[in-house]
Amino acid sequence: MSKILCSIATRGRYHTTLPLVLEAVINQTWLPNKIVIFDDNDEPQDMRKEMIYQHFFQIMAIKGIEWEWLFAEKKGQHHIHQMANRMDFDWIWRVDDDCVPESTVLQSLYSCATQIENVGAVGGSILTPPLQNTSKSTGLIKDIDSEPNIQWNFIKSIKEVEHLHCSFLYRAGVYDFNTGLSRVAHREETLFTYGLHQKGYKVLVVPNTVSWHMKNPQGGIRAETKKEMYDHDEQIFRNTLSFNDNTVVVLNSGLGDHIVFNSILGSIKNPVVFGCYPEIIPCRSIAEAQYLFGSIDQWNIYAKMDQWKWTDSLENAYRKLYL
Amino acid sequence: MILIHPFAKPLRNGKTNPKNYPYWKELIAVIDEPIIQIGVEGEEQLVPDFRKNLTMLELRHLLNECRIWIGVDSFFQHLAWDCKKPGIVLWSVSDPIIYGHTENINLLENRVYLAKNQFLWWEATEHNPSSFVKPEIVKNYL
Repeated sequence: MSKILCSIATRGRYHTTLPLVLEAVINQTWLPNKIVIFDDNDEPQDMRKEMIYQHFFQIMAIKGIEWEWLFAEKKGQHHIHQMANRMDFDWIWRVDDDCVPESTVLQSLYSCATQIENVGAVGGSILTPPLQNTSKSTGLIKDIDSEPNIQWNFIKSIKEVEHLHCSFLYRAGVYDFNTGLSRVAHREETLFTYGLHQKGYKVLVVPNTVSWHMKNPQGGIRAETKKEMYDHDEQIFRNTLSFNDNTVVVLNSGLGDHIVFNSILGSIKNPVVFGCYPEIIPCRSIAEAQYLFGSIDQWNIYAKMDQWKWTDSLENAYRKLYL
Repeated sequence: MILIHPFAKPLRNGKTNPKNYPYWKELIAVIDEPIIQIGVEGEEQLVPDFRKNLTMLELRHLLNECRIWIGVDSFFQHLAWDCKKPGIVLWSVSDPIIYGHTENINLLENRVYLAKNQFLWWEATEHNPSSFVKPEIVKNYL
């Protein structure tokens, strides 16, 4: 049986929508194994002293749901989600602190994720009245600027898309959140789910999975208004999309690593290489990769081998990362 | 001619790289064959013919010319592998299964000496002469 972590990032919503979300999560027809609340508040509080939260924690104990309240680093929800992504669970159900799932959401998402082969992420409807007309929405990245998100209305049937929004269930540990985004983490979930798609995993929307997005101008994990942050993140998003047809390779490592990597370069589809030793592999600079993508952590082969508890060859680690 | 590449990259904390073989002088003393040392400026000279800061092309030429090469776990073993020239690699704390090539003779004293985490910086690992095979063992493979 797969292990599911429910990850909730919260900021400024202790007494508004967060309790609604928690109540909805612990009353799912299919329960997560653990709930982690990542508290990104500027002035975090001990919610165990609050009556309603005491009840929630008692209910979780009775239902056998492990829980943890973690005080986050105030660097934005992409860092939080990346932490959850690495927590040794099979699937992560990311739930926003103002997005209240109906009772069967996790069951439907999980059922789809495990019954269909090679699923990377699966999402449902994320509804905010008045609903938008999504009848012509494709869910393809090429249409992202010209159509309402397919999740903004009821979903009629299972459909393969290229990106998801807000809350969804995803396969843990196979792709990284871009931690180079600013604190507002604009487009973080789009970049993440599109990355899963680019890596060859299916990204799906499924019917009968409604979450009510109770948008609240107060608080929120993206409670920043600096335009520069949004512009910075948007630029990273656009830069990422500009490499749609390429496999981006970043070799921020030693000479020997470049030589080993070179042996698999011919097997990689349309590679664009950023590296340190152009005498081994013609490449663009690491500084440029950093500028274009914000963070290059997802290409760190040593961090990957550590994450994978790798015992095979370096050459095969590169194969796993890039092929 | 035997080519030797004795030293891995210097550590940023100034300590001895734990991958550096501690018995080069003893090993060289038992080799009855011309030896060329390759490396970079600043490294200890172990034989009269020490060629420093060679280009990749020059290194490839030397690899083609040598009978066999001996080195530690550094870029050089990968370059030799790329040139399809097998040699001897003297291991200590890094794992030859991960970082080595099966085409080479990979001499490791004992896997108990391998660093527990193979994927961190080597600055965190102490140099331990006991973790290397002795020169008389290496000589058997020449």
